[in-house]
Amino acid sequence: MRFTTFAAASACVLLAACDWQAGQANNAQGNIAEDSRPATNAVATTTAMPSAAPKTKEEALKIMHERHEGMEGLGKAMKAIGREVKSDSPNLDTIRASAKTITDFAPRVASLFPPGTGPDVGKTGAKPEIWQNPHDFVAKAGDFQKAAQAFGAAAGGSDVNAIKASFADLGDSCKACHDKYRAKMKH
Amino acid sequence: MPRQISREDETLSGEARAQPVWDLPVRLFHWVLAGLIGFSWWSVKFHHTDWHIWSGCAILTLLIFRILWGFAGSSTARFASFVRGPRALRDYWRGSWSGIGHNPLGALSVLLLLAAVAVQVGLGLISEDEDGLYMGPLAVLVSTDTADKARDLHELWFNILLGVIALHLLAILYYRLRGRGLTWPMITGKARVAPDDERMRPGKWWAALLCLAAGIAITRWIIAGAPPFGS
Repeated sequence: MRFTTFAAASACVLLAACDWQAGQANNAQGNIAEDSRPATNAVATTTAMPSAAPKTKEEALKIMHERHEGMEGLGKAMKAIGREVKSDSPNLDTIRASAKTITDFAPRVASLFPPGTGPDVGKTGAKPEIWQNPHDFVAKAGDFQKAAQAFGAAAGGSDVNAIKASFADLGDSCKACHDKYRAKMKH
Repeated sequence: MPRQISREDETLSGEARAQPVWDLPVRLFHWVLAGLIGFSWWSVKFHHTDWHIWSGCAILTLLIFRILWGFAGSSTARFASFVRGPRALRDYWRGSWSGIGHNPLGALSVLLLLAAVAVQVGLGLISEDEDGLYMGPLAVLVSTDTADKARDLHELWFNILLGVIALHLLAILYYRLRGRGLTWPMITGKARVAPDDERMRPGKWWAALLCLAAGIAITRWIIAGAPPFGS
């Protein structure tokens, strides 16, 4: 009957436009961030997996706690920025304050995952795969750090489209690592 | 209830004619909804949150469509025809109810399923993910705390939804074991009915189109940020 084709057509209509990804740029301005990348890439990002595993369980738990708090802080900052970039008149001060939280913490991420801080030690969303693929993990943490720097640079300016574009890249770098290395964790 | 089924079977055994009981929009609604609920689960489980949100919006459209079709559809699709009082339930329990479409008990199950899905969609609309990467279409209308709580509830409510779906499937299995298949009629739209039962009055195809168009329009309005398009 006619319904079938109509249902199919309507699905297409419904699925046109609209973005859920908090930082996704609505236009082609994404290229701006792309252009500014080489400059930010030039900033040396030296992230290495710390070789030393914590000596005591207490020490391990302390690192895990710090890691958890830091990640939660990142989440809060991302949400605050997400709301601003979605609004018609983003508050640049809010964005900058949250960007600072992110750029401050980003260089520390890789160092907060020493061996011996996995789910066998305490409650954590960190998957054991992190320590099975240390190079890939560190590379992803490095990508995040670079994206954070690029975003920090964009947030320093007032080009909202550039901010949106680099925020979307930043979100992608979070997601790339989380999809692979984070397990679901209930508070 | 068991007596009711066997009584009906006796009546039906002599009559092989299958009559329309479910119109195409009802069947499409049912199977697309089932598919989208599965897809919603899969997509978010495997980190395709954007697809998950789209799927939720499509389900919202379906729900709006189904509610409208419940007023404008064929006789068995209309709420007025299947939402009945406790007396019909009692009659059904005693086996003295006869008719096509949702039986009085099944009608309760339909309302329960629709409500459970509606709650889940509503929670999803105002949810945001824990990393601040995705926001439901209406999450900007609530605070970050509320959006986070809504996500927790959204995850929790999924278990309720699964429970209601399990009940639905168990009921189908129960009827199956009692010799009454419900799945095939939901595919073909036809079932053998008692000779003295009322026939289904089909809906108008253009009414279905209008309901669907309204469903899409209202969904678009909601995902655009509702009242005055956002905060």
